[in-house]
Order: sequence, then C-alpha cells, then structure tokens
Amino acid sequence: MTSSGSFLYPMLDAPERDASALLADLARSAQAKAMESTTVRTTTMTSQAAGLDRAAEAMAAAFSAGGRLFCFGNGGSATDAAGLAALFASPSTGRSLPARSLVADSSVLTALANDIGVDVIFARQLIAHAQPGDIALGLSTSGGSVNVLKAFAEARRRGLLTVGLAGYRGGAMGTSSDLEHCLAVDAQSVHRTQEAQSALAYALWERVQERLEHEEIR
Amino acid sequence: MTVTHPAATSQPVADDGLPEGLADGLAAASLVLARRLHAGGTLWCASPSWPHHAQHVAVEFVHPVIVGKPALPAVALPTHELTANARANVRPGDVLVVIGAADDPVVRDLVRRAPAWDLVTLWVGAGTPPAAGAADHVLWLPEDEMAAHDGRFILLYHLLWELAHVCLEHGGVLEPEPECDGPVCITCSDEGRLVEVVRSSGSTARVRSGDGLEDVDLSLVGPAGPYDLLVVHAGMAITRLGAP
Repeated sequence: MTSSGSFLYPMLDAPERDASALLADLARSAQAKAMESTTVRTTTMTSQAAGLDRAAEAMAAAFSAGGRLFCFGNGGSATDAAGLAALFASPSTGRSLPARSLVADSSVLTALANDIGVDVIFARQLIAHAQPGDIALGLSTSGGSVNVLKAFAEARRRGLLTVGLAGYRGGAMGTSSDLEHCLAVDAQSVHRTQEAQSALAYALWERVQERLEHEEIR
Repeated sequence: MTVTHPAATSQPVADDGLPEGLADGLAAASLVLARRLHAGGTLWCASPSWPHHAQHVAVEFVHPVIVGKPALPAVALPTHELTANARANVRPGDVLVVIGAADDPVVRDLVRRAPAWDLVTLWVGAGTPPAAGAADHVLWLPEDEMAAHDGRFILLYHLLWELAHVCLEHGGVLEPEPECDGPVCITCSDEGRLVEVVRSSGSTARVRSGDGLEDVDLSLVGPAGPYDLLVVHAGMAITRLGAP
C-alpha cells in the first residue's frame, strides 16, 4: 500500500509493522528534520545578515522617533506575528517598545472579513491606527498572502516603514515596491520556513534592542 | 543526510539536532496523541506565558499546511480562567499539550489535575525541566527561554504534528495497548487513582475521575472542598494532594 505520507517519510512506505519499529523510524525522522531545521535557520541567518542589520537599523530609528510596531500574518504566521508583538512589547529582559498584533481582536477581524473581505483585514486596521513613522511588519510563508501585500501597500501610502518576513525566497513580497525590507527564507517546507522566519524575527528584536540600549525614547 | 544517533554521545546534540532522548520522546508522544485522536479525542493546547504557541499548535492540526492531510480537533484554551475552561471542556480520552516553563504555576496546576480528567499530558519547554513524572511526556530543550522565540519550540510542535500524521496512516498501531493481561495489575487494582472533588457533604464527596463521577469516603482525609485533589483507593480517599 502506498501511504499518502510517503513524501514526508518515504522509509515508512512499507507494510505495517509493530509500534516499536514505527517509533524508531519516527525518532530518526524527527532527528533528521531537526537537523534540516537547524541548517535552514543557520543558512537564513547568514544569507540575510546584511538585510537584518539594515531592517533593525531602520526599525530602531523609527522607535526612537516615537514610531509603533504593527505585526500581522495569517494562520501560523498570525501566531508568529502575535508572538513577535509580545516580544517587543513585554520582553522578559530589555526595553519594552510599543508593539501590537493586528490579529489579536476577533471582533475587528470578523467585522472586516464579513463586511468587506479577508483581503482588507490588516489594511483597514492600519487605516484606523497607523501614523507616519510607524512600522508595518508582515509575515507570509508563501510571500504572497494578498491581505499582507495589501497592508504593505496601505502602509507605504501612509508613510510607514515596511518590513516583511517571507518564504519561497520572498515570493511576491520579494519583488513588491511597497516593501522596504524583505527578509526571505529559502526552503521547500512550510514548516522549516516558519521556523527560520521565527529565528529572523528574534534576531530583529535582538538587534533593535542593541541599538536602543542607550537611547532615550520620547 | 547521515543522521548520527544522539545516543552515541553523552553530550546533548544542541547545535544541529535534538538533544538526547528528545527524538524518542517526540515519537512516543506522537503515537499516544495519534491513538487518542483516532479514538475521537481532542487535543487541548495551553500556554499561559506564550498564548500564540498554543494557538499555533491548534491551527496546525485544524488547518494542515499540507493539502490532503485530515483536519483534526485541536483547540487553544483561552488564558483567562484557563484551568476552569479546561475543566469545563475536556473529556476523558483527550490530550493536553502545555507549553511553558517548569515553574509556571498555571501549567503546573493544570498537568497535576489532568489525570483526574483522564487526559494524557505533553509538556513542551526549555531550560530547567520539571520534576520527573510531572507530565506523561516531557519534551524539553536544554537551552534558555530564547527557544520560545527563535523557532525551536515551533520545531517541536511541527514535529509532533508531522509524526502524529504518520502514525495516523499506520492503522495497525492505532489501537490502544492492552491495559491488563493478568490477575494482578496496578492499573486495574484501583490503586491510587487521582480524583478531583466536585462537591462534598459530611464525610462523603462527589468526585470526578477518569471513569466519570463517583462518591468517595473522606473519613481518612477530613473535609474536602471543590477542586481539591484526592488519591482514592477502593472508594476511600487515602490522601490529599497539597499545592503544586
């Protein structure tokens, strides 16, 4: 029998065995995937090092001038956006910075999605809240989420700094003129991409913290 | 890719793979999770400190990124009144995954009560690990809290999802292990079952256990109130669990 999981775990495309054999296969697969994750995260951090520094520099300058950070994304990227906003706003060590997630309020999200459409769930929130000098940071593992791209377009119109974390070598985000800083992961798997995006997000936070360490923020 | 089994060295494989024992732990946890989901259970996800992690686990299972994978019931518990929400919603045979530090009081309380609700518990975290046996499956990274932010926690629950789906495609392993095959068996001998008090009256309490509701005798432990945790043997409460 060919299992539909054979593309994930080809070695398991075999007749049914007892659980101990399966468990050994699963453990080997987990170890291999963990190593792949480390490789993708390390490669990404190296290839994006210069872009990270530039993005962090611009974000630190925006925070110094009183800017606020808005994070957004869909699905797993929505949770990563929420995590990143929480890290900036209430880190266990370091400076708290004004940051929040545009996926936090289900009333706002469902109102916009129901009344207008899912494409505008982030852009319309920026229209309501954003000021010139604020920061729009969106995540998309495909690099092509329409509502994320629309939010960047709105953000640019309003004079925000735009920063994107994308998979698929950037996808549509990589070539969008609305995006000033696009940090991209080059991986086939959505899961490995998300893990590397999270590493990039953390590195951004670290670099911003370093740059603002001795700075007074009005 | 050549995979060096971590058991070959006494050092944790921190730089390029999973630390020793964690791959086996993930495999065992995934099989239990797959068995319970296969039997109709729900995966409940809780993370008081990092609620986005609980939501991320849930969305992986409910809306898989790989087309064709079945949607499975997983729910992120709200952080407000987390334990009360869990108590109200979980059913015997469900699974609870918690993501949090070993000293997180809400997580500790939750995993402590889980056996009375017949939940299998998975505890994901980093840094100083919880005491042995604190949860059924402790999936722990040796590094500091940074793991919560830089993608390594995400890797752990991505692996849990991936491995659970592999198990679900192997129907032969999904039936639960036989629980008892002899005349004497700790599991069946009613020895030291954890229960949670629902209400009490005099020397009797109505309690919740993995088997449902039952009445137990409080003569040995004295008065008990709602949500107290008791250990019961043969209908008699024999000890009371203190604060975690």
